[in-house]
Amino acid sequence: MKPWIFNCKEVSRLVSESLDRELSLPQKIGIRMHLFMCNFCSLYKKQIIVMRDAMRLLAQVDEFPEPAVLSSEAKRRIKRLLTVHQETGSLVD
Amino acid sequence: MGNKNEQKPKHALDPARWVDLYGDYLYSYALLHVRDASVAEDLVQETFLSAFRSKDNFKARSSEKTWLTSILKHKILDHFRKEKKENRETTNLDVSAVENDFFDNHGHWKIMPKNWTPEPYQSYENKEFWKVVLWCLGKMPERLKTVFLLREMDAWDSRKICKVLEISPTNLWVILYRARLLMRKCLEVNWFTTNGTKD
Repeated sequence: MKPWIFNCKEVSRLVSESLDRELSLPQKIGIRMHLFMCNFCSLYKKQIIVMRDAMRLLAQVDEFPEPAVLSSEAKRRIKRLLTVHQETGSLVD
Repeated sequence: MGNKNEQKPKHALDPARWVDLYGDYLYSYALLHVRDASVAEDLVQETFLSAFRSKDNFKARSSEKTWLTSILKHKILDHFRKEKKENRETTNLDVSAVENDFFDNHGHWKIMPKNWTPEPYQSYENKEFWKVVLWCLGKMPERLKTVFLLREMDAWDSRKICKVLEISPTNLWVILYRARLLMRKCLEVNWFTTNGTKD
């Protein structure tokens, strides 16, 4: 591997890492040079960022597309636990 | 259903109301991260109990749901920390094995990434898109999915994830790299190139 001259394999790995750590300057320059010429890696970069945005959005949705349902048994149990806490704990409202 | 029809003040922090309003949501959230339904139930229960104990700290500047979700995220992290303690072996992902699936000997893409249509943001309103996202997550190897969700969905710091799962930063990067390659391909194949004409 020539320094600063990256192929798609190397770029894809570094671009992924750039979402999790600070890359070195030579790495950043190498990526930029590669992306300038390579449409595929440019798409890849755009898309993994889109995926991150989508996942962060998913963490905030009002409702999941196929929501799981907590059993009424579990709900009852949790409510009972909370009520016990409410009665025994000092509750100042 | 053993309803004790108690007179509950219409207080913003009414525990029974919490369970009805947010129970299913938190359970679904937990189930994305852990496979075992009983573990997910426990996580939800612990979340409500913690929330209840610290309810005086709740400030109305965030919504109840956001607040409960952030407590759940911590519970999920604790779960993986405990699980790690019990199960010491570390799985290291070999980067060259990862790369060989996606790149040829010259370091070129085996299958070139395609342009995604429709524009991704146009899919966000579409329930079907999210179903595909969840399906792709489900197809991911458990280990990869765990790390991917902690990082991308829960937005935990890389260093924190390494600490909790007791993995090296290099291993974390390789796992995330692999997860992103798989997820990218799965979304492309199952949504962006097949449903491109859907509105």
